[in-house]
Order: sequence, then C-alpha cells, then structure tokens
Amino acid sequence: MSRSLPNLISVTTIAPDGSRRTVQPADVRGRYTFWRRVTAVLLLAVYILLPWIPINGSPAVFLDVAHRRFHILGFVLAAEDLWLGFFLVTGVAFSLFYVSAVMGRVWCGWTCPYTVFLEHVYRRVERWIDGDGPARRRLEEAPLTVGKVLRRVFKHGIYLLLSAFIAHVFLSYFVSLRQLYAMMQGPPSQHWLAFGVVAFLTASLYFAFSWFREQFCIILCPYGRLQSALTDDHTVNVGYDKTRGEPRGKVNTPGAGDCINCQRCVQVCPTGIDIRNGLQLECIGCAACVDACDDIMAKVGRKPGLIRHDSLAAFKGGRTKWVRPRTVLYGLLLVCGMIVCSLSLLAVKPVGVSLNRLTGAPYFVNNGEIRNQFQLRLVNKRPQPAVYRVALAPDAPEGLRLTDAADAVQVPALGEVVKTVVLTLPKDQFRGPIKTQLSISTEPDGRTQVARELEFLGPDPRLQNDEYLNPQNYLR
Amino acid sequence: MSKSTEENTPELRPHVYDGIQEYDQKLPNWWLFTFYIAIAFFVIYWLAYYQFQLIPTDEERMHAAMAQIDAARLKQLESLDDAKLWAMAKDVKAIESGKATYAASCMACHGPTLAGGPGLPGLSLADKVWKHGGQPSEILKVIRKGSPDVSKGMPAWEPQLGLPRVLEVLAYVLSHHQEGETFTVDPNDKPTWMAAAPATGAQ
Ligand code: SF4
Ligand code: SF4
Repeated sequence: MSRSLPNLISVTTIAPDGSRRTVQPADVRGRYTFWRRVTAVLLLAVYILLPWIPINGSPAVFLDVAHRRFHILGFVLAAEDLWLGFFLVTGVAFSLFYVSAVMGRVWCGWTCPYTVFLEHVYRRVERWIDGDGPARRRLEEAPLTVGKVLRRVFKHGIYLLLSAFIAHVFLSYFVSLRQLYAMMQGPPSQHWLAFGVVAFLTASLYFAFSWFREQFCIILCPYGRLQSALTDDHTVNVGYDKTRGEPRGKVNTPGAGDCINCQRCVQVCPTGIDIRNGLQLECIGCAACVDACDDIMAKVGRKPGLIRHDSLAAFKGGRTKWVRPRTVLYGLLLVCGMIVCSLSLLAVKPVGVSLNRLTGAPYFVNNGEIRNQFQLRLVNKRPQPAVYRVALAPDAPEGLRLTDAADAVQVPALGEVVKTVVLTLPKDQFRGPIKTQLSISTEPDGRTQVARELEFLGPDPRLQNDEYLNPQNYLR
Repeated sequence: MSKSTEENTPELRPHVYDGIQEYDQKLPNWWLFTFYIAIAFFVIYWLAYYQFQLIPTDEERMHAAMAQIDAARLKQLESLDDAKLWAMAKDVKAIESGKATYAASCMACHGPTLAGGPGLPGLSLADKVWKHGGQPSEILKVIRKGSPDVSKGMPAWEPQLGLPRVLEVLAYVLSHHQEGETFTVDPNDKPTWMAAAPATGAQ
C-alpha cells in the first residue's frame, strides 16, 4: 500500500497541507453490517412514511407551522405548548447520555439520520456506479477522461436528485402533502419561502453527502465532540484486543499474535482510522471493522472477536462494570426526564386559554359600575368543533358578574376565537383589587376545565372622599 | 508505522502544560475557508452597513414597512365613502362574517341584538340615536379608533381585528339600518336600560 497507515497524530482525512483526503471504504459483509442495513431500511421507511400515515385524521407527524398546530402521533399541540420542547430536548439528551455511557457511539453508527443517509443511500449509489473501494480509489486517481466525466456527472446527478427528494420529504413534515404536491406543480414564484427552503436543503444535503461526509461526524457534530466526557473505561465500544492480537505477524510466524496485519479493518472503516490504535474520537461505532476482522479470523481458522464490542477495562483483562456512578446517574436522569416528559404531555389541555386585559384604561367607571374589559383567546386543539362555557369561579365575590356569562363560545375544529369578556361590579361594593378566576369548561360534558387568574381593578376606595388629605389620619 | 507517516509527522510545539504537548497541525482547508468567508463578509458588511449605509437599518426597514402599511390603509380608507359603505352593508357574506366577529368582540357590551341590554355598558347600535354621529364613516371611525371619550371603554378595534374585519362588523351594524333613515346625534346618549332611570351618582 502506498498510502500510509492511519495514526494517532493526525486525522486521516485531513492531509498535512490541510487538504481533504477522501475515504473509500471497502465492501464488508457480516452480521453487524446486515442488521445495520435492516435498521437503516426501517428508519428510512419511518422518515419517509410518517407524514403519510394518518392518526386521528391528521398525519402521524405534521408540524403545521402555518396554522401553528403540531400533530404528533395523534396528539395536537399548539404554539403555546412549545415549552414541552424543553422536555423533549432534555429527554433526548439524557437518553443519549445514558446510551453513550453504556455503549458509546452506537447512535452514530446505527441510527443517526446523517449516517443512515450517508452509508445506506449515498454510499450505496456510489458503490453501484463506481465499484468497490479499490476501484473507486483507482477512478479517483485516474486522469480526467470522457468516461470519467460522464460517470461523475451521472453520479452527482443522482446525488442531486436524492438530495432534492430528501428535502421534499423534510418539507412534508411542515406542509400538508396535498399542498406540497400543489407547490411542486406550480412555479416557484408562488411560494418563494418553501422553494428557498427546499433549494437550500437540497444544496446542503448534496454538499454534506457528496463531499463533506465524515468531516461532520469528526469535527462538527456536538454530540460527537461530547463523547469523551460521557464515556469511561467501562463503556462498551468497538475495540481491538491488543493482548490477543499483538505482536502482529503472518499466519505462520512463530510467537505472533492473532492479528495477521491484513489491514482489512482499516480498509472498511468509513472514518479512515485504524482501530488497532485504540478508541479514537473519529470512530462512530459502525462495527464494520468487527465484521471485517471476524471474516478474516474465520478464514485463518481463529476465534472471532479480535475486534469486538467490549470495554477498555475488559480489553485490559478486567471485567466491565455495568452499574457504576455514571450509568446510575445518567439512568436516573433518563427516568426523571421520561416521567416529567410524560407528565407534562398529560398536563396539556385540549383547549388553550389566555386572558389579557383589553387595550385602553385598566378599568372604567360608568353609570355607577366599575368595568374591566378582557380579551379571552380560546384555542381548540381537537380536530372536532367544540363549545366552551365561560364563567366566573364560584368563589368570586358577590356583585361581580360577566356581562354575557350565558354565552357558550363555539370554536371550530383546530381553530381559535378571540372573545371580549366584560366584568362589572357596582361601584359601592368595590373595596380594592379583587383576585379571582375565570373558568372555561367544555360543553356539554364539562370534561375539560381550565381556570385563568384575573385581577379586577377599580379606583382606590380610600380616594373616594377627601379623608386622605386630612393630616390627622397620619398622626395617630 | 510506515516511512511516509514519519516524513509527514507534524512539528511538536515546545510548550508543555500539565505534561500535555501539542502538534502544529494545519486546520482543514474547508474550515479555513469558513474563516475567510467570515472575514470577507465582515469587510463587505462593515462597508455597506456602517460606512456607506447601503443596507437600511432595522429601524429604517420597520419605518418603511409601516409607511407602506399606512399608505395602503389610507388608500383603502380614501376609497371608502358613505355610499360604498352602504353598498357593503348589503353584502350577505360580509354581514355573516361581521356577525361572527360581533359575537366574539362586541356582544359582551352591546348585547346580542345590538340594542344593549340590562346591565350592559354598551350603547344601543340598533336605535336611531348616535352619540358620535350616525353616518357610516362616522361609525367606522369609532369602531376603528375607539370612542373619542376614553373613559367610556370602547377600545380601538382596528389594531386587534384589522380593517377588513372592522368593515365587516360595520356592515353587520349597518344591516340593522336603512340608507337615508333619519337619526339624531345626542352627545349624552346612554345605554337604553338606563335612560328610564336617571343615573345616580355616576361619574
Ligand atoms: S482485520 Fe483483524 S487481522 Fe486484519 S489487520 Fe485488522 S485486526 Fe488484524
Ligand atoms: S473503527 Fe470500526 S467501528 Fe469505528 S468507525 Fe471505523 S469501522 Fe466503524
């Protein structure tokens, strides 16, 4: 091999002069590769089909930004429920923490959409057009000929088509399929925003998967960069059994270890490292090298598992400790996050209510009555029309009343209504600001009840006469 | 390690901190490019924005947008005269949507029949007495900008509803009246239910 072996000093994919060195991973077969492909196909199906599967009359996942309604597996959330996103993000983060502490970067190698698209879509296309690893390397180094140019144009054309397709799949999470189809038929001038998003995404995806590739996992991805803080000696990672493998040597060399230095593990690695140098930040845990080495071991009649999933402690001859402060803590955080996330999801009411004072003065005094005016916004998150009854809380002071309490407010399915709510109180009954509640309940069953605090304001009763000007009052 | 690796071994920097040394490695070129692009962007932006004012500031952009909105609204309003407003009051669709907006926004004070009602603070909109003028354009002004008497509580609805919905509400109100009917203007107009019993100690 004319190319030097990957080492621990430099990143393989970055040449000493800063230019990029491409990786052309060799073909690999084996159980991990098989299951990884199965996982990828399932995930791809999920990505593509989620907007097509109807649940409760709307797609399984439909983030309807235009109407600010977010349909997630039958739940409907409104913009006001965005705070749930905090628990979603922390929940995902804690799960990833836990998984990393136990099993390293399995997420990266198996389920990350970036890897799924790169390894199982774009690299498959490349394999189909340009041949296996060595053939691709030869083609890369070959001078430009008509044939090479045609082949490149063909490959990049397919990359672009794929990128455009993925961009449209992405968009289908945010606009309805029917609208997406209509937009695809019409000229871009009718929907510049959507067109711009798709164009930008297509360009980004094309760039990422045709050129940038593993650079993202190695240098940019924040989760990748966090790894070293999340894992320890007992984390199970893909690793090379030094005790068994060293010293490397040909099959029949006396005193040699099990590694025959065939470098299959290096050739198949999509991030271009030599796992025999130990765990490195580039490794995405894809297990391609495990399959590659097991294959060699079978061929030379040795036990598989020279490269395998194990912890650093176990590779050193110890035992993997599964229960340790880190896993317990991350596990607790994970459970906490899940409980809080489910509780907050259950706390989401099917009606969104907000109550604000109407613009203008905080209160009005007319005809012997004090009046406060509010604006009530009712958001129906159900896909059916609903009727809400608006009433004052039963403990509201006597005399305080809603001018049209009898009214039931009709709100169309997934719609919202902004309603004026006027409260009055005879002036002589006002003793100071009143804190009370407005209650909203569904008609006719009253199943959902929501209460909103409000403060009824009026002129300070102490200022109703000139007593406050009398200095005697303050000298007592 | 093969020979070529050793040739390419980057220089080890002399400084040591806590036993840690570093190699003098080149940044990836693509990374450097993002840096150069940022520099180029800075220079262009600095010149265009701060030096030659080629790009409008956010404030200017906002004022321009507001001016545009105002101009559009003015144009819309200018084209509206009493005759046009009366014509609109015969548009069934406008009346229908005006009715819905009325139910949500106005009914709490002016009552379900527009005539006010016992204990309701709003003036009757169904009778032939108007406090601030009874021409469609005068009524429109009150709905848009609120009562000229801010102590009475009729808020400006245009900022909340927008002009089109205000016009629909007006159409709904006008649908309870006839074009050319006689009306009186009474600056002391009171809710109907109070007219019988003179207000006691009201401000
Ligand atoms: S594939 Fe296995 S035997 Fe071949 S070089 Fe790698 S570790 Fe050694
Ligand atoms: S070292 Fe092995 S597991 Fe890690 S990225 Fe390379 S091939 Fe995948």
